[in-house]
Amino acid sequence: MAMKKYSPVLALVICVIILQAIASLAGREYYLTQLTMSAYYCLVILGLTVLMGYTGQISLGHAAFFAMGGYTTAVMTTRNLIEMQGSAAVDLAVRLGLTVTEKNAYGVEILHLSPWVSLVTAVCLTAAVAFFIGIPILKLKGHYLAMATLGFGIIIYRIVLGSRIFGEADGISDIPQFALAGGLAVSGDPALRVQNYYIAAVLVVAGVVLLMNLVDSRVGRALRSIHGSEEAANAMGVNVARYKLLVFVLSAVFACIAGVFLTHFNGGVGPSEADVMKSVSYLAIVAVGGMANLWGALVMGILLNYLSLRGYFGSYDEFVFGSILIVIMLFFPNGLLKMENFRWLSDAAARVINSYRARGGEGKDGLS
Amino acid sequence: MSLNKIIVSLLCATLLPVAISCKKKSGDSIKIGAIFSVTGPASFLGAPEEKTARMMVDEINARGGIDGKTLELIVKDSAGSPEKAISFAKQLIEEEKVYAIIGPSTSGETMKIKGICEEGKTILISCAAAEVITNPVTKYTFKVAQNDSFGAQKICEVMKKKGIRSIGIVTSNDGYGIAGKEQMEKAAAKNGIAVLISEVYDKKATDLTGVLTKLKAKNVQAVVNWSIVPAQSIVPKNMKQLNMDAQLFQSSGFGNIKYAKEAGEAGEGIIFPCGRLLIAEALPDNHPQKALLMKYKKDYESKYGEDASTFGGHAYDALIILEEAIKKAGADREKARDAIENIKDLPGVGGVYNFSPADHLGLDINAFDMLTVRDGKFVRYTE
Repeated sequence: MAMKKYSPVLALVICVIILQAIASLAGREYYLTQLTMSAYYCLVILGLTVLMGYTGQISLGHAAFFAMGGYTTAVMTTRNLIEMQGSAAVDLAVRLGLTVTEKNAYGVEILHLSPWVSLVTAVCLTAAVAFFIGIPILKLKGHYLAMATLGFGIIIYRIVLGSRIFGEADGISDIPQFALAGGLAVSGDPALRVQNYYIAAVLVVAGVVLLMNLVDSRVGRALRSIHGSEEAANAMGVNVARYKLLVFVLSAVFACIAGVFLTHFNGGVGPSEADVMKSVSYLAIVAVGGMANLWGALVMGILLNYLSLRGYFGSYDEFVFGSILIVIMLFFPNGLLKMENFRWLSDAAARVINSYRARGGEGKDGLS
Repeated sequence: MSLNKIIVSLLCATLLPVAISCKKKSGDSIKIGAIFSVTGPASFLGAPEEKTARMMVDEINARGGIDGKTLELIVKDSAGSPEKAISFAKQLIEEEKVYAIIGPSTSGETMKIKGICEEGKTILISCAAAEVITNPVTKYTFKVAQNDSFGAQKICEVMKKKGIRSIGIVTSNDGYGIAGKEQMEKAAAKNGIAVLISEVYDKKATDLTGVLTKLKAKNVQAVVNWSIVPAQSIVPKNMKQLNMDAQLFQSSGFGNIKYAKEAGEAGEGIIFPCGRLLIAEALPDNHPQKALLMKYKKDYESKYGEDASTFGGHAYDALIILEEAIKKAGADREKARDAIENIKDLPGVGGVYNFSPADHLGLDINAFDMLTVRDGKFVRYTE
């Protein structure tokens, strides 16, 4: 039972390893850069899938949560504390091991807060904001909820764009690496590319496992019942408001963590991360992945982000995501990667397997 | 959902990007990468830059390339997003192994990829204006756009000659206005000019008599308005209505004749700093930039049917600097970097470039001329 449940995860892990092996053997490890970036965006998309696909609550503000993570860590880790050394707070932080000393690109010595501190701060901040705005806006439904989250997204975008502390239109640059334990570091350094690919992959796999279990649990069934009918769910004793808030905060935290890691990987963050079009593209990917389909969202998230980040859509990037959304809503309201659309593929596969068996092949059908 | 379906889709997802990424190998040419925000909020910068770069490369290749080497231009549209600029810069450096990167269009994107280019030992010629791009100087990063502070310094010099000692500053509340306010206040302090009052107005304001009345009460000798919004035509009109006789200065953002036309009679006599592209016809024939400016204007306007802009000029300058470097260094990137540092007296759209190991901008305040409005036209300002 458990084996069967986790075998897709195993397949995912194998895919991750195969991809790296192919890239490394072909001497094209640089492909991993955009795969790593796509993987972080996938974390946002996975969280959003549970919120939108399973619970039926639309959000056009998740780029804002992503940006909150990115900007929190950017602001906290780029402030040089050297001139503030001697003040009680800074000294205490140094003594508690909450700071990092290193030389920047210009050879200037800097003392900054450890990204672990900013990660925890970012997560707490985002969870708190999601919690407090979630209480009033999750009372709204359908278009009204979409509009409220859209408004929230625009507010965050405007704050980021208009505040000096966030670097206004220029964003924040020269963000230090995030040294994890055991010599691992989140950084854009080409020498650390393979380990960064695996760091991102581990986060995604962990996210998938967590959400798979959530969706498969009592909570998950409650979430789906909310999607079906809030009134009915309420009547059955599901605490609708509480579950909606829970999943909203959870998906916001996913976006926030993705923001923190990608910001350290990129070494910079700009207001475009908070742009509403970014939220729309997340939404489009959840839709094209099949709404209530973690695997579909994951596959489409990697694929579309990868193509976008490598510039295959050229100047038509926003156009592509916009059209995907329209086409999906018109023709495949259940998503492109819903398995019904692939019935022909599995039928064909079954036919091949059957004819193979009929010809007396050893029926090793661990897969069917 | 059954397992084999999941595996099939995961495998497809695995193999598709790899399959798509397989690329053809290009011939014997020099690859130049370009990252411009052709679309998005900074498209007014990136679109003319992209058009200019394509036009230039076509032209160079049409005449047989540089010393027999043709150029291959790879343009990436970042839409003004730093994360894309980062991804593209890594792609251009590691995969395409480009000779140099031109762009990005905005300062934010430039600062994000500066470190990547330094690490990848790839020449970056930025088309953005912020001073931090080349100050402090780093080995591989150059820029071609004039610093914001040049305009402010130019204004202060004219003020000193005119004997203006006290001024008032009004700026719009957008990024351009805020940066200008800072530069203007700094320049004024440096030149011993007193800023009696400094006011910020909303960029969408349609009437500024309220703000200007405050300046009038302070009896300022001159008003400086720093914005790229329609307020550039409203300020002179309102000053006229208020009977203010203070001299009005504006920023290089006024360098679009439509603002002068909208201001009408009130716009006469406004003094502002600007690059020379707008007054190319009015330059004396022996001016080093004249022939080049006229050619760029003619080529661009006949090819694309729109006015040539200073921003497109940045891409133009980046390419003539690279052309110069390739002539001297051939395909050797390290030598090309040294060659750029040794470029002297190279006329471009933005000014006459003089690079050195300590100066990776190569322009000084003489890149700007002071212009004024006479009979509804821009002319060079003369004392």
